[in-house]
Amino acid sequence: MDASDAAAVLSRAQQGDGEAFRVLVERHSRRAFQLAFRMTRNEQDAEDVVQESFLRAYRQLGRFEARANFATWLHRIVANCAVDVMRTRHARQQRVSDPLDESAPLPVDAPDPQRLAESTEVRERVDEALAALSPLERAAFALRHHEGRSIEEIGRTLGLGTSASKHAVFRAVKKLRLALNRYA
Amino acid sequence: MHYTEDELILYYYGEHRRRDRVDQHLAGCASCREVYRSLAAALALVADPEGPERGEQYGLEVWQRIRHQLPEQEAPWWAVWTRPSRLAFAGAAAVLVIAAFIAGRTWPGATDPVQPTVAVAPHAGIGADAGERVRLAAVGDHLEQSERVLLEFANAYGTADQPADVSAQQQWATDLISANRLYRDASTAAGDEPVAAVLDELERNLLELVHGPATLTPHDLEQVRLRLDAAALLFRVRVLSEELRERELDIPIARKTI
Repeated sequence: MDASDAAAVLSRAQQGDGEAFRVLVERHSRRAFQLAFRMTRNEQDAEDVVQESFLRAYRQLGRFEARANFATWLHRIVANCAVDVMRTRHARQQRVSDPLDESAPLPVDAPDPQRLAESTEVRERVDEALAALSPLERAAFALRHHEGRSIEEIGRTLGLGTSASKHAVFRAVKKLRLALNRYA
Repeated sequence: MHYTEDELILYYYGEHRRRDRVDQHLAGCASCREVYRSLAAALALVADPEGPERGEQYGLEVWQRIRHQLPEQEAPWWAVWTRPSRLAFAGAAAVLVIAAFIAGRTWPGATDPVQPTVAVAPHAGIGADAGERVRLAAVGDHLEQSERVLLEFANAYGTADQPADVSAQQQWATDLISANRLYRDASTAAGDEPVAAVLDELERNLLELVHGPATLTPHDLEQVRLRLDAAALLFRVRVLSEELRERELDIPIARKTI
């Protein structure tokens, strides 16, 4: 599909044409899932984010400016939707929070077979450390670290100022470094 | 001179403006090199999560799940003001302004100071629905702006040596407070107590931020975040904003044109 076809599909979808919107959903779903999973690290949450994002996109399609890029616009919706889902989960987890186990033994100079176990342990530790970040820090970090977005792009995506997005990344990295220090 | 951790984080992600200088410095500074090594090693552990694969048919599966849930599309911003209900409202507002002007010119001089009041007058062209839609749209926009300013506070960054300067955010919050009062009063008058309650809480928090120091130490910032978290204010503001958008769409438009 070339650019003019894509513009025509978008235009029809903006006029409420469900079939045209189906084309957009089919084309952008996998990328949306990838982003949602990178941010939430949870398959079910990522599925919820994808579904909710397309519903939001459809609702707001009339406000989408034709000269903008649909993929970029959708990316922003998915990222914000993921923040919402993470906020809900974060609030739930804080009520039953289990602090990180700081007394775990240090896996230093482990032999190869133990290295394997250690990598599992490290992955778990990384997951714990990421889960301990605030939803916004986690979103900003995922966009910077996994998506390779610049600080300015992160600001535009999450509706933050450049300074706020920069410091969200800083805080995330510092917390991660602290949590993973003994493995680094 | 050493580079801060923040600068090394920017350098790691290729966003430091003076990359060559950092290169040179790291080559000769064991202390910064060690900080950077530790930083890079920790970040290297955070691998891209291996998400489950989604096949070619995935887009179709998503479509099948959402196709029966598609909501009504919101009209473009410019179309909102051309709707009959909005035009009626704008016309009625103009009539009220002119009437107030004429009354002010002709009413016998009053000596007692009078508190401004908001009166809801029946008008042939205004349905109650139109006014309600306007209120919901305005409060929704206000909540989105409030969420942004709260996020700016929550994400401000400062050190003991260089506290965060939040004076610009305070000015922004000051502007929002007066609007917040109007919307809270309008919501109370409309019997919309849940909205009024959130706006009331929002106002208290905005006031505390505005009357706090313009520069915040890390400890101050942590207190701000804890206060916002304790009230779950950001979450409530965002949820309410979404809810108002839904409610706005649920209100039928009074008249239709061909």
